[in-house]
Amino acid sequence: MAKIVVEGLKYRYPLAKKLALNDISFEVDEGEFIGIIGANGAGKSTLCQALTGIVPLFFKGAYGGRVVIDGIEVTKSSLSEISLKIGMVLQNPFTQITGSKLTVYEEIAFGLENMGLEREEMKRRIDEALMLLDLYKHKDKNPFDLSGGQMQRLAIASIIAMQPKIIVLDEPTSQLDPQGSSEVFKAVSDLKKKGITIIMVEHKVEKLSEYADRIMLLHDGRLIDFDTPSKIFSRDDLKDYGVVEPVFTRYCKSIGLKNEMGLYPVTLDEAVDLVVKKREHSS
Amino acid sequence: MRMMSLYKDRNTIVHKIDPLNKILYILASILITMLISDFKVLILTLVVSLLLLLLGKVIKNVFPIISFSLIVLVTIVIIQGLFNPNNKTPLVNIGQFIFYKEGIIYSFLLILRVLNILCAFSLLILTTKPSDLIENLVRRGLSPKLGYVLASVLQIIPQMLSTMDTILDAQRSRGLETEGKLIKRVKAFIPLIGPAVMNSLISTRERAMALEMRGFNSNIKKTFLNEHDETSFDKLIRYLLIALIIFTIVWRLVWLK
Amino acid sequence: MSKKLWSFKFSTAALVLIPAAVGINYIGKLFAGLLKLPLWLDSIGTMLASMLAGPIIGALSGAINNIIYGLTMDPISFVYAITSIAIGITVGVLMFKGLIKNVYLAILSGIIVALVAAVVSTPINIAFWGGQTGNIWGDALFASLMAKKFPMWLASFLDEFVVDLPDKVASLVISFLIYKGLPKSLINLYSSDDEIEKL
Ligand SMILES: Nc1ncnc2c1ncn2[C@@H]1O[C@H](COP(=O)(O)OP(=O)(O)O)[C@@H](O)[C@H]1O
Ligand SMILES: [Mg+2]
Repeated sequence: MAKIVVEGLKYRYPLAKKLALNDISFEVDEGEFIGIIGANGAGKSTLCQALTGIVPLFFKGAYGGRVVIDGIEVTKSSLSEISLKIGMVLQNPFTQITGSKLTVYEEIAFGLENMGLEREEMKRRIDEALMLLDLYKHKDKNPFDLSGGQMQRLAIASIIAMQPKIIVLDEPTSQLDPQGSSEVFKAVSDLKKKGITIIMVEHKVEKLSEYADRIMLLHDGRLIDFDTPSKIFSRDDLKDYGVVEPVFTRYCKSIGLKNEMGLYPVTLDEAVDLVVKKREHSS
Repeated sequence: MRMMSLYKDRNTIVHKIDPLNKILYILASILITMLISDFKVLILTLVVSLLLLLLGKVIKNVFPIISFSLIVLVTIVIIQGLFNPNNKTPLVNIGQFIFYKEGIIYSFLLILRVLNILCAFSLLILTTKPSDLIENLVRRGLSPKLGYVLASVLQIIPQMLSTMDTILDAQRSRGLETEGKLIKRVKAFIPLIGPAVMNSLISTRERAMALEMRGFNSNIKKTFLNEHDETSFDKLIRYLLIALIIFTIVWRLVWLK
Repeated sequence: MSKKLWSFKFSTAALVLIPAAVGINYIGKLFAGLLKLPLWLDSIGTMLASMLAGPIIGALSGAINNIIYGLTMDPISFVYAITSIAIGITVGVLMFKGLIKNVYLAILSGIIVALVAAVVSTPINIAFWGGQTGNIWGDALFASLMAKKFPMWLASFLDEFVVDLPDKVASLVISFLIYKGLPKSLINLYSSDDEIEKL
């Protein structure tokens, strides 16, 4: 059964004139890694918020269609219930720290306390999350003393400890330095290995092509395309949607280097393979 | 500054007393000082507070707290000594000013009251971690949401302050003048506070979303990571303080007759 | 309207507004000090919270402002929580009754707020300080009125009022100007009672 079902989703923010999401439908299966790309204002964040119920339970406005997460329709549920199924990590690491806890360890406990978990279960989950996100050595630090990358991993750990089956990440690396960025990518790929479904908005398309099973292309609130990275980045109208392909793809496009399926490579390895093959072929 | 607090970390018995008991102690001190205007009683409670502060090894830290009120406390003596409506008996002449006994006595009463209250509060503030105090109150029925608000203020303010310098530099580099005539300085206020307000409101929106995703609005009864056991010693102190509070009220009622 | 106005069911956004309001109060005070202004300007956050989310959130912001101040700086501040609560309620009611529409009305409202603040503070000032406020200019007025045998409550009230008047008027005008400059989507966030429209 698909984990996420979206049908005819439409949404307009309060006081706004145009739709931020316009007739969006798709399904995502358990364990998939989905990338979301699109220009600024395309509706990527709004879609993330619609998946987690923030839209329309937090931002009210006008809403149509259905979002069903693991069998629950979000508009018929509450945010605290939905948060047990699907978690969300935002762009700004600072604002995700609750601010009410003095250590990394306690910060992760915040959501678990709200869930009413037993102390032993809480500790077990916190330890697990600390290990998974490689934060164990920082567990007694004040959350605000962490680096950006560490803080973002703490945000992920705090969500993971609540054990949702799906995690949505909205540009989690955009405010991080390269070091912090790769820390977060590594963490996310570890989550994927654990079977967690991942939805990630990301501008670093090279990284995204490496990890994502499928990529969603959004423009002006509409879902333009939803397919494998090579299909998406092989499109020749990406410019119209304000997105760029990975550098390797761009290079291969410029010299017209396609694989046997007629698609351009999207990762460095694929590109190298193809170039080597081509060389052998011609020599 | 990571967190606003006057807490002084020491290992004393006073630090280990249940925060609720310290609150009850404040309540008792205020009631005693407000209801009983007897110098002996006021001095006795002040001495008790000072001894407890001494026991908590924080007596030195009380002075900065008192210093906030120092100037008023001094001027109270002057103004009451000179102008208290009940003034009759001249005490001393300083130049053309006559200080009266009634006013001076009244001012001492006021000063003792304020010192009593300051010292009782200091006992709580200096020997209790704010986060422990708040968590304790939440366990005892304070709304967890209010608890969150209180706890987060202590860390969010220092975070906001760190953006102040950024704003100041940015606006100065755009030619904002922060010195000179009063009108110039008044005009500079909005360009400074405006961005601070915008930043903090936008953070508010994001933080609210993040909290929602952490079960902030959950209807399930909240549990606590940290354990908490009330010792029988704490219970004993609590009953004693409650008895003292009742006794004070009754005493006052009886005396009034 | 009145039901909404006094609702105790807070949205998360409105609750998280409280720490921000307390922070803004604090930053206002620091900027005023930095610019050497003869005003405190330390209730702008409370006033904005009232304008955005109503009198109850405003009152809570005021109360928590003083509680935090009391816990971290000067315990006497606890007692004046009542004044901050009164300011929060007054601004919230004036705003939601549509009375703060332009700068002139903001000035008028500032005068009302100063009156309310002085009325609430006076008994506290009398009980704790024999009527003084701790402000040099106000207390000088107090001393001269006392010397002229004015009743203490009146002298004390005027002491507080002359200090509060410029501060509260300036604070309210500044809060109003900031409020006017906020994007609509932010202003809308704190009114929790919107319905979801069907598309
Ligand atoms: N809180 C909001 N209130 C009103 N309009 C909004 C809000 N957030 C986003 N929008 C609008 O919705 C559209 C989609 O925005 P968003 O989902 O943030 O795009 P993206 O994340 O792809 O950059 C944009 O036109 C944006 O201006
Ligand atoms: Mg976005």
